[in-house]
Amino acid sequence: MADTFFSLKIIATNKVFYDGKALQLIVPTLDGGYGIMAHHEELLLAVEVGELDVQKTDGSWERVAVGNGSVQVAHNRVIVLVDTAETPEEIDKRRAEEAMERAKEQLRQKKSVGEYRIAQASLARALSRLRMKDKGRYL
Amino acid sequence: MATTREIRDRINSIGDTLKITNAMYLISSTKLRKAKKALLDTEPYFYSIQSLMARLIRHLPEGFSHPYLDFRTDIEKSQLRRGYIAVTADKGLAGAYNHNVLKLVEEKLAEHSNNMLFVVGEVGRQYFEQRGIPIDEQFHYTAQNPSLHRSRMITARMLDLYFRREIDEVYIVYTRMKNSLQMETEIVQLLPLNKLNRETFDKAVSAGVTQQDFRMEPSPKAVIDNIVPNYLDGFIYGALVESFCCEQNARMMAMDAANKNGQQMKHDLSVEYNRVRQGQITQEITEICAGARAQRSGQGS
Repeated sequence: MADTFFSLKIIATNKVFYDGKALQLIVPTLDGGYGIMAHHEELLLAVEVGELDVQKTDGSWERVAVGNGSVQVAHNRVIVLVDTAETPEEIDKRRAEEAMERAKEQLRQKKSVGEYRIAQASLARALSRLRMKDKGRYL
Repeated sequence: MATTREIRDRINSIGDTLKITNAMYLISSTKLRKAKKALLDTEPYFYSIQSLMARLIRHLPEGFSHPYLDFRTDIEKSQLRRGYIAVTADKGLAGAYNHNVLKLVEEKLAEHSNNMLFVVGEVGRQYFEQRGIPIDEQFHYTAQNPSLHRSRMITARMLDLYFRREIDEVYIVYTRMKNSLQMETEIVQLLPLNKLNRETFDKAVSAGVTQQDFRMEPSPKAVIDNIVPNYLDGFIYGALVESFCCEQNARMMAMDAANKNGQQMKHDLSVEYNRVRQGQITQEITEICAGARAQRSGQGS
């Protein structure tokens, strides 16, 4: 059985979110969800804002809201580097809602390309957090 | 010799200064504790993202070109516009912390013309303003309590300027915590990703990592498009956190030294004060005795 595990590290800017063995990992990428199991080939992926699923060694799944980042796979070791990683319990719904409103308002104003992108990215983060908090209401 | 009154005044004034330095010491030590925790939490990310970038660059296909890797060879080397992000503190009184950063920046500025300066922190801003060195006016960020939001704003600004070809190279000057006692001012090139300057990256990669081919999905370009802005975010955030921690550490050490020096001065002065006072008393007694003796001998005759 031990062979079907791989070691997984999820590192966010403010903490090491997960460090241990895992059975399966599904990451949100540019083209949609991407599944990774043990002994995956060497790989480098860009992670999109969204939901990341981890199947732990006991078979249970854990769902994590992640921000932008990357996944690298090498030698049965997977390292996920993201700017934020939160469990559903950690998400502050009020804050996410406020962030969503703020971002929408900024998008409505005519601003420079840079500011537009920032607002867009923060809207994506807010929506992903809210989506996770109460499934699909904001879609 | 100074009079007792003068010495007493000096002792009092040193005492007042000590109160200030002591308070600043306490404040910076609590802030340092917070900053150290943030640093500890960020360090795994900061170093992993650097080694990831190193790996990514090593494994890029031959002849691969991308705006982030464009050295802009069409522009003559002396004409390249360089942008420097300098991370300083908001306040002085932090030993050599600010000075080291400013010195390094000035050295770099002297090397070429066509520079653009982006200063984080009030001290650096005032320093360059006084010297008439132009800095970017809209770039107003404090060094206090670094946040991801701030680093995102900085990254967006830099990328915007880079793609509009207003700057061709971006550097960041920050202070890194080597260990809890040693700090090091560093300059790192952020853009374009420097393939030639790989030693900055290689340090972060542990030895013995074998070369293997990475698959990049959906394409190397898409991966780089997405990972590089993220890398810049992460790097700038890490640099801000490191610098903030160094600042507090430097201030704490400076204030500790000031406390010790103040205490030493106070001690020396109080010894002198006692000596002068004793001298005065001795002199007074001598004078009284002499006076009394003179009177007695006058009566006797």
